[in-house]
Amino acid sequence: MRRSLFGRIWPNATAIILFAGFAFPVYWMFSTAFKPNLDIVTDTPVWFPTNYTFEHFKTVFRADHFWTLVFNSVTVTVLSVLGSLVISLFAAFAMTRMRFKGRRGILLTFMIAQMAPWEVMVIAIYMLVRDADMLNSLVPLTLFYMVMVLPLTILTLRGYIAAVPKELEESAMVDGCTRTQAFIKVIFPLLGPGLMATSLFGFITAWNEFPLVLILNKDIEYQTLPLWLSQFQTAFGDDWGATMAASSLFAIPILILFVYLQRKAVSGLTSGAVKG
Amino acid sequence: MSVQTERADRAGSAPADTIRKGDAPRGGPAAARKNRAGASVPYLLLLPALLVTAVFLGWPLVKDGMLSFQNLNPRQLILHLTEWNGFDNYSEVLKSSDFWKVVERSVFFTAANVVLTMLAGILIGLLLARLGKKMRLLLMLGLVFAWAMPMIAATTVYQWLFAQRFGVVNYVLDTLGWHSMADYNWLGTQFSTFSIVTLLIVWQSVPFVAINLYAATTTIPREMYEAASLDGAGGWKSFTSVTFPFLKPFLLATTFLQVIWIFKSFAQLFAINGGGPDRLTETLPVYAFVEGVGNQHFGMGAAISFLTIIVLVALTGYYLRIALKNEEDEL
Amino acid sequence: MKRKLIAAIGVAGMLVSIAACGSDDKSDSGSKKAGADSYKGQTLTVWAMDGSTPPNWTKDVTAAFQKKTGATLKFETQKWDGIQQKITTALSESTPPDVIEVGNTQTPAYAATGGLADLSDLKKEIGTDWAEPLNKSAVFEGKQFAAPWYFANRVVIYNKKVWADAGITGTPKTRAEFFTDLDKIKAKGKAEPIYLPGQNWYFFDGLTIGQGADLVKKEGDKYVSNLSDPKVAAAMELYKKYQSYSKAPKDKDEATPQQADVFAKGKTGAFVGMGWEAGTAIKANPAIEKEIGYFTIPGETAAKPEGVFLGGSNLAVAAGSKKQDLAKEFLRIALSDQFEGALSKESGLIPNKTSLNSNLTANPAGAAAAPAAGVSGGTTPLIPEWAPVENNPNPIKSYMTAVLNGKTPAEAAKAVEAEINKRLSQKN
Repeated sequence: MRRSLFGRIWPNATAIILFAGFAFPVYWMFSTAFKPNLDIVTDTPVWFPTNYTFEHFKTVFRADHFWTLVFNSVTVTVLSVLGSLVISLFAAFAMTRMRFKGRRGILLTFMIAQMAPWEVMVIAIYMLVRDADMLNSLVPLTLFYMVMVLPLTILTLRGYIAAVPKELEESAMVDGCTRTQAFIKVIFPLLGPGLMATSLFGFITAWNEFPLVLILNKDIEYQTLPLWLSQFQTAFGDDWGATMAASSLFAIPILILFVYLQRKAVSGLTSGAVKG
Repeated sequence: MSVQTERADRAGSAPADTIRKGDAPRGGPAAARKNRAGASVPYLLLLPALLVTAVFLGWPLVKDGMLSFQNLNPRQLILHLTEWNGFDNYSEVLKSSDFWKVVERSVFFTAANVVLTMLAGILIGLLLARLGKKMRLLLMLGLVFAWAMPMIAATTVYQWLFAQRFGVVNYVLDTLGWHSMADYNWLGTQFSTFSIVTLLIVWQSVPFVAINLYAATTTIPREMYEAASLDGAGGWKSFTSVTFPFLKPFLLATTFLQVIWIFKSFAQLFAINGGGPDRLTETLPVYAFVEGVGNQHFGMGAAISFLTIIVLVALTGYYLRIALKNEEDEL
Repeated sequence: MKRKLIAAIGVAGMLVSIAACGSDDKSDSGSKKAGADSYKGQTLTVWAMDGSTPPNWTKDVTAAFQKKTGATLKFETQKWDGIQQKITTALSESTPPDVIEVGNTQTPAYAATGGLADLSDLKKEIGTDWAEPLNKSAVFEGKQFAAPWYFANRVVIYNKKVWADAGITGTPKTRAEFFTDLDKIKAKGKAEPIYLPGQNWYFFDGLTIGQGADLVKKEGDKYVSNLSDPKVAAAMELYKKYQSYSKAPKDKDEATPQQADVFAKGKTGAFVGMGWEAGTAIKANPAIEKEIGYFTIPGETAAKPEGVFLGGSNLAVAAGSKKQDLAKEFLRIALSDQFEGALSKESGLIPNKTSLNSNLTANPAGAAAAPAAGVSGGTTPLIPEWAPVENNPNPIKSYMTAVLNGKTPAEAAKAVEAEINKRLSQKN
């Protein structure tokens, strides 16, 4: 195992460059959020803000309905992800551990469902929800998000369940457990990382979605953070500082969740993805 | 539901294996013992998933399909009128040269991005496996940041990085001596716009591939490498004979997901340059949105969205076939 | 979970029933003159565009409305981006916003959809002296579908310090003088003479109006693009000349980045904008306030200012609103001489009656805007077919960028004509 000095240095050097490349946009977001306006729209970029200001964050917190939007986003995201996890758990279990007619058809259904171009179906969805008199409500949003993340959740969970050795389940049943008990006592605990990994995808999707909110909920009381953010930016693009402050606040929950769950999630993710 | 499951299992009163055999079609004597309630268990478990999918995806799809045969503009939408116009929307779309250009562009765009993402992802994944613990953690952190960055926040930041006048990228290029880039307008041409969008998409997609690939390599049993090196395999050889075959299903599945995700990219293209300049960076989802919602030609938009689904299914047909075939062999 | 599911399934049944109750069950129709309190407990929702409702005006109108009707007035501020789709869908709903601010160029298209209520009676009652040129956009097929609210046109907003530094005294009265001044600032080299991005399309529209050009012409019974008219080309050449004084991006409009924010840094001689944009600049950099001046965009001769696009807004009542009478009450209050005058004074916007123009003298931006509005103002073609042309991506903006990047106006016009004609012929 002799490696030249060069051979030892280049992976590390590459890693540092890559780290900088991947992290820079995130850094730029946070640093812009702390800069005074005159340091933002400037001909010579200010790399490290020396004049800090919390003004932009104050602007965000002071914005009308900010906390309502936070509440709505959290509610819709958490409920839709939990809902889809529960439903997927049943479905994925059936699809990995049971043999029945029409299994391939159902698998194909979920794979194609995964391709649904939601953005371009918004008008159809809008008309259905409008005619049901359910506009300006969090309920349809939650349900649609749940279905939006459902196919991937099922497909991923399927992999995790398959990764749990059948023998464990069987030996539990030899010990007198029913199949349900075996599932709860043996498989479910082993699925922990898988559930976390899967929920991450769900969180990202639901947390980011905005075309649907845009058309369904015109009343700001029922809107969510990403919509608010996208309008902040596309309509005027003027207040970069506040936009970046808002983006930062928007990104932080997911960043924390990722860094926290990353290790558990990753180990599970692979087993899920391998199975695909 | 759980009651039924239990009963089914008791009736089987045997390890799961037997039940599975019992459920199998043409199971010989086992088939005779097949318990009816047991047979319905998988369907009951699948029911909620299928039901919500049918209601919240299937129904809008059907509605979308119906709209695609209608002349639906603001007047019809506001007054709740239904004006069927047969295949007019489809024939108009299919006859327009714009549409075919967009299809071609979408395919190339997807292909380029998927190839770049997969290549970069694989290389970085393998690099992760080679790094020491501390460096690996650092690089992972960078990757996770990019991955976790919400899309809208990310597109805003990229617009900001590549802004013509106050953007950091132009400043850096200028400072490095490439003075013609001082006021370069990244959104001025089709190619440069696609470059930014590609960078953004690859930046956001690589972490998924890289981190998972790294995690997958950690599950490769050491013995396999040892066996390979006993056979005299070098670095490249052991990659092609051990790593690659082991990762193949993973790579296929990941590529499949990337094709779908990248083909469906909407926010990135739309937010960065609105499909411009001169509509030259519109891919199918953006085109459907601009024609349908933007120009308020909703029936037309629905027709395009249907065609979009067909194109995507065609693109992923290969993988779907393989996946279904594997499914048959398993269990 | 179960309840949600049931609710969702209920969607199916309602599909049929809701559609049946279209727009004609107004709960309080009839023409009874309402006294105070007869509307107690009701809320009137008004969609106003970002920047249209200055704080004092909004406060006073809300109070007056409440006093007169006993009902609550709720302003909901809307962004311009995506507004057409938003209004379209809103008008189709069972509880649309009651009153909507609609841009004057977009009004004919909405009138044609049948989503706006007929206000002909109101026009007879309070609108006999609405300025005719300003009222034109609100009339469709002989009926009044909206009430003119305010008008605005662009002025030059300049930085007095930059001008003084370049040795310029006074403000230009002709276009030639304006260019000479810009040359002086350029020669001084300390500041960008003017900030003008390549797609400030309403400024360009003003220039075409100044040249007496039309953007569409009639061919048979259809409207088609008239961009290849040499007069349009002349206007574009003028724009190009102005733009050559600026480092602003050629493919962006004045909102990205917000031109007032650029101006606020104090390194820009001038920009062409709405009077209220000065407020945006002051917000970004309060120190700039004392340097800001305004003048009318100068024309070929001192006698006639440059052509300007008369942007403006009408107030329309949704046909589907169940509070038709209350909505009219609101219009009577908001459009009264008292509040029209107050709006002009506060925002420097041109009121809907010439008799109220005196309010503008109190506002420097308004004073600079008024001379052009009267003699040189114009709009985009006031036909329902026009609105789709302005949808993003706006082909005229593409045309402008193409010319600025070196194409001849004729080539550039040719490139976008098909798109414009397609949009003009879009079915309703």
